Amino acid sequence: MDFLNQHLLTILIFLPTLGAVLTLLARGRDAVRWTAITFTAITFVISLLLFATFSWRGPEPDAKYAYAAGDSPTSNGTVQMVEEASWIPAFNVQYKVGIDGLSFPLVLLSTFICLLSAIASWNIEKMSKGYFALFLFLETGILGVFLSLDFFLFYVFFEVSLLPMYFLIGIWGGPRKEYAAIKFFLYTLVGSIGLLIVLIGTYLYSRGVYPATATNPVSGTFDMVKMASPEFQQKLAEILPGGLTGGLAKTFFVLLMVGFLIKVPAVPFHTWLPDAHVEAPTPISMILAAILLKMGGYGIFRVAYPLFPEAARELWLVFAIVGVVSIIYGALCAMSQTDFKKLVAYSSVSHMGFVTLGAAMMTTASMNGALFMMIAHGITSAMMFFVVGVVYERAHHRELGRMGGLATTMPVYTGFSTVACMANLGLPGLCGFIGEVMVLLGTFQAARSDSILMRSGVATHTQIYTLAVIACFGVVLTAGYMLWTIQRVFFGPERAEYRGFPEVDQREIVVLTPLTVMAILLGILPTIFFFAFTTNTVSAMFKLFS
Amino acid sequence: MTFLASIGAPYIPGWVELSPFIADLWLIGTIVAVLLTPFFVRRPNAACGLVALVGLGIALVSLLTVGTGNTSEKFRPMLVTDDVAFFWKVLLLIFVMGVVLMWFSTTASTLHEGDGPEFFALLMAATLGMSLMGSASNLLMLFMSVELASLPSYVLAGFRKTDRIGAEASLKYVLFGAATSAIMVYGLSMLYGLYGTLQLYSSTAADGSYVAGLAEVMARTGGISALLVVGIFGLIVGIGFKVSAVPFHFWCPDVFEGASIDVSTFLSVASKGAALVLLLRVMMAIAEQFGYEPNAITTSIAAVIGVIGAITATVGNTAAYVQTNIKRLLAYSSIAHAGYMLCAISLLSRTSTSTDFYPAREAAQAILLYLAVYLFMNLGAFTVAGLVHRETGSEQISDYAGLGRRSPLLAACMAVFMISLLGLPPFAGFVAKLNLLWVLFQNGGWWWGLIIAIAVNTILSAYFYFRVIRVMYLDSSTAPAFVGNPLGLGLSVVCSVALLLMFVGFSPLSNVTHRYDRLESAAATGAGPPAAQASRAAMAPRAALQP
Repeated sequence: MDFLNQHLLTILIFLPTLGAVLTLLARGRDAVRWTAITFTAITFVISLLLFATFSWRGPEPDAKYAYAAGDSPTSNGTVQMVEEASWIPAFNVQYKVGIDGLSFPLVLLSTFICLLSAIASWNIEKMSKGYFALFLFLETGILGVFLSLDFFLFYVFFEVSLLPMYFLIGIWGGPRKEYAAIKFFLYTLVGSIGLLIVLIGTYLYSRGVYPATATNPVSGTFDMVKMASPEFQQKLAEILPGGLTGGLAKTFFVLLMVGFLIKVPAVPFHTWLPDAHVEAPTPISMILAAILLKMGGYGIFRVAYPLFPEAARELWLVFAIVGVVSIIYGALCAMSQTDFKKLVAYSSVSHMGFVTLGAAMMTTASMNGALFMMIAHGITSAMMFFVVGVVYERAHHRELGRMGGLATTMPVYTGFSTVACMANLGLPGLCGFIGEVMVLLGTFQAARSDSILMRSGVATHTQIYTLAVIACFGVVLTAGYMLWTIQRVFFGPERAEYRGFPEVDQREIVVLTPLTVMAILLGILPTIFFFAFTTNTVSAMFKLFS
Repeated sequence: MTFLASIGAPYIPGWVELSPFIADLWLIGTIVAVLLTPFFVRRPNAACGLVALVGLGIALVSLLTVGTGNTSEKFRPMLVTDDVAFFWKVLLLIFVMGVVLMWFSTTASTLHEGDGPEFFALLMAATLGMSLMGSASNLLMLFMSVELASLPSYVLAGFRKTDRIGAEASLKYVLFGAATSAIMVYGLSMLYGLYGTLQLYSSTAADGSYVAGLAEVMARTGGISALLVVGIFGLIVGIGFKVSAVPFHFWCPDVFEGASIDVSTFLSVASKGAALVLLLRVMMAIAEQFGYEPNAITTSIAAVIGVIGAITATVGNTAAYVQTNIKRLLAYSSIAHAGYMLCAISLLSRTSTSTDFYPAREAAQAILLYLAVYLFMNLGAFTVAGLVHRETGSEQISDYAGLGRRSPLLAACMAVFMISLLGLPPFAGFVAKLNLLWVLFQNGGWWWGLIIAIAVNTILSAYFYFRVIRVMYLDSSTAPAFVGNPLGLGLSVVCSVALLLMFVGFSPLSNVTHRYDRLESAAATGAGPPAAQASRAAMAPRAALQP
């Protein structure tokens, strides 16, 4: 038991890999499917065990810095359950994993969605062994990204998760799968090369912050906990040419942001997403939208902002505009789609725009909102893509113009779908609402004179209000296209061609029910299910900004 | 001994002085053994292969047993045996053993019975030349070792005598090689004329007098002259040809396509690696004598090498886009990788911010590590190409369609090699590139441009490496399934596993390369100041001759 407790996170990360190996060894399609589902289920259960060990008792007023586990081991503003081992001593690269309020919700989301999409993958017939092996391998990559605290390790997992996705889209995708897969791959690769440069660059300068000592002969660090401390920032300011707001810091920050914004994806780096989604099989779309996009968002909060808070503040306007443009442009694009799946894909662009905006505004509310938005979008987008998958499996097309009247044929399905759409458009009481409101609230709060942006004089009231008001229109547009979609798909007279459609079967209900429950629970009890985790982490992070 | 002394035999090296060259001696022995094999065996091809393998194995083991050793003062003017040379020889021997194993699994059956002795004698001779290229510290020795590596390679490239493409490739190779050799020897003669010495490193002669080396004299006289430009130009042309740096790369794809696949593999790593080590040695000797301080000579050489490196990588990666033949694709990929490694050699001076940076050691370390990784990537990729060729008779990438189903293990290995060549984790290609970028980063300055060039090139290369993976896994085919030769399959699996292990074990790997990154110092070790004074005085008139 002790061993389990001490290595829970490592087990969590590598259990799916073990599952992948066993899947490859399994004989027969049923054995393969059951192995894969069992392993995703065990991983999910283990991630639930984290509740027992994770503690989120009240805030620590004198916690020294953002994530460091120091004198306050019980606060969730700190990193917990840290496991460390030296990996590359020559560069001080560690295998260091840990969990805090930032990563905990995303880890839970990942194991949850992976379990559901493994169930949703039940009908995969083509090379199912390879499919499930890659699927489980992908889960390892995802969990590794969310749990690593070493920048190098983070980068490795970030890249490793890229490869299985390429194959999953490329082999099991739709008609234009090859194009979509390579486009996804190349876009992300461009971003990660930028990350690589920052990775090496920050290490180079960290050697000045942590010079070699007698006890530790190797200088420098890749430790993100150490890098996100005020002490580190102060020293970095002296070493970095131009200081923390100079050209180099800004370049590093922009490279990081571009790397993550491609993954998020934000306009103008978003064009891979609709292609990837349209071609990917349903379960992979679920993972892509619900988890992979969050790796970008997580990177912004875990790496970009804590490492270069000053540069982030200086450049807030650029990324706020990127966020607002993503919200509006994504919504407008979604409105004009005729393909159901593409519509959901563009709505992802629009929703993830709130995450970018929330980060850029740098207020407690906006950042908490952005983090919530990631989880909420994880739930709703997975649900929406599954809903699309259900109708596609029956109708074999996704043309919105040819649909209609499904409410009569499939009432239960319509019920689930409506919850999904409502949660997506941000109906109060469902999860989408909280995220949007928090981000918009935070955006308006940024105009207060004691906000970080106003205090440092980089922003004006006019800029902030203009952006906030434009972003608000995004909510209206979202409501517009979602309601129109419901109308086109479910309402209207029953169509002859869809009359014989079977209602959602048990397997589909098994997938949809937990998602529905989570959408409602997050909507009505956001504090218990979410902010209890993040609030302290975010406020700890704010000590870096001010 | 008295008799030898009486007839004026100058110097008979003892065992201690010869022992660092044990691998080269064994190679010479292997050449003889291979040539003698047909007298004892009726069907000599496979036997020759085995003899070569055993000879290489003995050479490797004895080299590892002897270790690096110190260069004797007597050998210093001609050949040195420093850590870098040692490491390069170890890599080379391992690689050539891999090539011989690959020959057994791919082209052994197509080699005309009775040609084996010639083939392996040439292969061993070229290996010997490349091994000496890693040690050469004299302009004559440099030229001779390059020729010893080149001449057998020309023949090897055209070894499939009845094959028209092979003959054409060989001819092209010879013509290019002859022209660049001529330019190189002309350039070297200019350097000799300018500085009056053939030896690269300063040394103390047998009678105790001090002999200043080329690097030292160059540093002392400073200043760029027309002759120096011609000399360095000739040197870079000659070595650039072996490295297949742009614009001397035209032979590379044609030869790789025309030659049998084992020869292509051999040339892709051994020839380029040897030339890179040689260039590294010459340039770093000069840089060291300038104290790694920026100055007109090293800055211009560094700029030229850096620019050539960046252009080579870019040309290699862009030209690879349109290739349909796997060997041509790998040829352009090898050009690109040579370009990356050339970038490391451009680190000839320190920037003001990097005072604790030792360019010679860092560059040597980066190149050795890159070569160690590159060896397995290329050996593996070429082996898979050879096995597929043997089964399907095709080298077209389009005939790899559906390989993921037809031969899953082989396809998986190929995917590993492609991902590693691209430089993505979790394979060693990533750490090789990372290490190289890291070295460039440490120096900063204008080397940032090279970092950006390498970054952009990585993105450029993604498409064509992934095209192979796409064809193997995403395209379907009705062609029959096959398993592939077990030996070749084993070799590919070993290479893939090695790449994975070198990624996870990056730390031990970099420790090893850091352990062997020391180049011989260009300054004389045993020379007293008076001798140096005298030597400097002797050099003065020659320096005054400069325009």
